[in-house]
Amino acid sequence: MRTNKQDTPQTTPRRSDEPIWWSLFSAGGVCVAMLVPAIALLVLLGIPLGLVSAEQLNYQRLQALVFHPLGLGVVLGAMVLPLFHAMHRIHHGLHDLKLAHGRLAKWLCYGSAVLLSSLALWLWLTVSMASG
Amino acid sequence: MSRKPYQPPMPASWWLKHPAYRFYMLREATVVPLLFFVASLLYGLYALGQGEASWLHYLAWLQQPWVIALNSLALVASLFHAWTFFALFPQVMPLRFGSRTLPAWLMVSAQWAGVLLVILALWWLLGGVDAHQ
Amino acid sequence: MPTLEMRLQRYRPEQDSAPHWQDFRVEYDDSTSVLDALEQIKAEQDSSLSYRWSCRMAICGSCGIMVNGVPKLGCKTFLRDYPKGLQLAPLGNFPVEKDLIVDMSRFLEHLTAIKPYLIAEAAPQGQPHRQTPAQLARYKQFSNCINCGLCYAACPQFGLKPDFLGPAAIALAHRYNLDSRDSGKAERMAQLNSDNGVWGCTFVGYCSTVCPKGVDPAAAVNQGKIASTLDGVIQWFKPAKEPRNKEQSK
Ligand code: SF4
Ligand code: FES
Repeated sequence: MRTNKQDTPQTTPRRSDEPIWWSLFSAGGVCVAMLVPAIALLVLLGIPLGLVSAEQLNYQRLQALVFHPLGLGVVLGAMVLPLFHAMHRIHHGLHDLKLAHGRLAKWLCYGSAVLLSSLALWLWLTVSMASG
Repeated sequence: MSRKPYQPPMPASWWLKHPAYRFYMLREATVVPLLFFVASLLYGLYALGQGEASWLHYLAWLQQPWVIALNSLALVASLFHAWTFFALFPQVMPLRFGSRTLPAWLMVSAQWAGVLLVILALWWLLGGVDAHQ
Repeated sequence: MPTLEMRLQRYRPEQDSAPHWQDFRVEYDDSTSVLDALEQIKAEQDSSLSYRWSCRMAICGSCGIMVNGVPKLGCKTFLRDYPKGLQLAPLGNFPVEKDLIVDMSRFLEHLTAIKPYLIAEAAPQGQPHRQTPAQLARYKQFSNCINCGLCYAACPQFGLKPDFLGPAAIALAHRYNLDSRDSGKAERMAQLNSDNGVWGCTFVGYCSTVCPKGVDPAAAVNQGKIASTLDGVIQWFKPAKEPRNKEQSK
């Protein structure tokens, strides 16, 4: 019933790589709290809730807003960082629910965050570059 | 006398046992609707890059009942997340001035003010001022 | 005197393979603590009952127990607050030695690992170590820990992974790291930086709720995450030739 001796004071345990994921998770957490309500409320639910008109979300305006250099901030703040935030919680959630832990789960979680983030950045870059 | 300690089991359902644990799991689960939110934005970004017709199609997609339902859930989840996240901030990063700490309620309200400000800023960017004149 | 139904978890290692419940009825008034009730049972009903206690004033930290599934100090919990009766079990997440007594050695090993004492250079000749009120305020809250282990019983991460250093040990590491007189931070960081250190925590936060001393271990652990992240960044930028964690290798 004893814990293994690996982590007794005599040995120096390995430094965790969690600071990287936790930093991304935290930054994502701030973005989810600060940006997501606004975008969900006004863009995704704006028309059904009657807060904005279809005219306000017209193609030209959104094109100009999103593919503006500052739109990169939106891609990072509303998509990339929230993805890392979400996949970090899912990774730990899998451990909490005793569903999975270890390398594979970790690779799958953060790997999909990297993949989807790349997709978002690529979608943004190709149009931004094309429109100069 | 020999020992025979009994190790209590830790079933995967441990989190059902106490309200504090259920609250924790609910907080962690806010990322599931968040994933739908991100997917919606990804689709929107794609549509916006494809041209006006596909953007109009996207706006129509947003108004389907099931999409509205899931995005409403994402909105509620993000607000719940904000509520829990803002409360943690003064615990993780207490702002100290000498031997005094900035009161937690002040830090929490400042963050909610931030949320409100972002909503107003986006509303302004979307021409809310002109549209409602 | 009114009486109250109490259900106790019993475990006799000589006879039992698993714990079982046993019911008792105790007399109580407004001042009867859970510990008093246990003493009453042991004195008048069943002398074989085993439990831990010492100070009876919430200072020694030895009477930790689950009251209706919530980690509590037996001497600081009163029967008057449980009119519907109560259920007592040994502190959660620890191996049960006998009845209400658990084996806390895991917690104590983790505590030893983070060196919970002042590692200070000698003060200048015949001088005491000086500290301003502001310097004291930085760690004071975290120094109130009585090592009762309630936070470990509250922590699912410790339950899932007993190698996790856990709330109190990390809170105490943080307490000494924040102490202006201390210079042992580098020795403690190696433990805190690992997967079983601060990174084993997912901020459930229940440890801080159950702490009878207002220590807020969850805050300490999560402040420790920032400290560990900064520590990692600093190590990253340090010239590679310098041996890492010098203090550890001596
Ligand atoms: S931090 Fe609180 S609950 Fe944990 S051992 Fe110390 S006094 Fe007990
Ligand atoms: S008997 Fe000492 S803390 Fe309860």
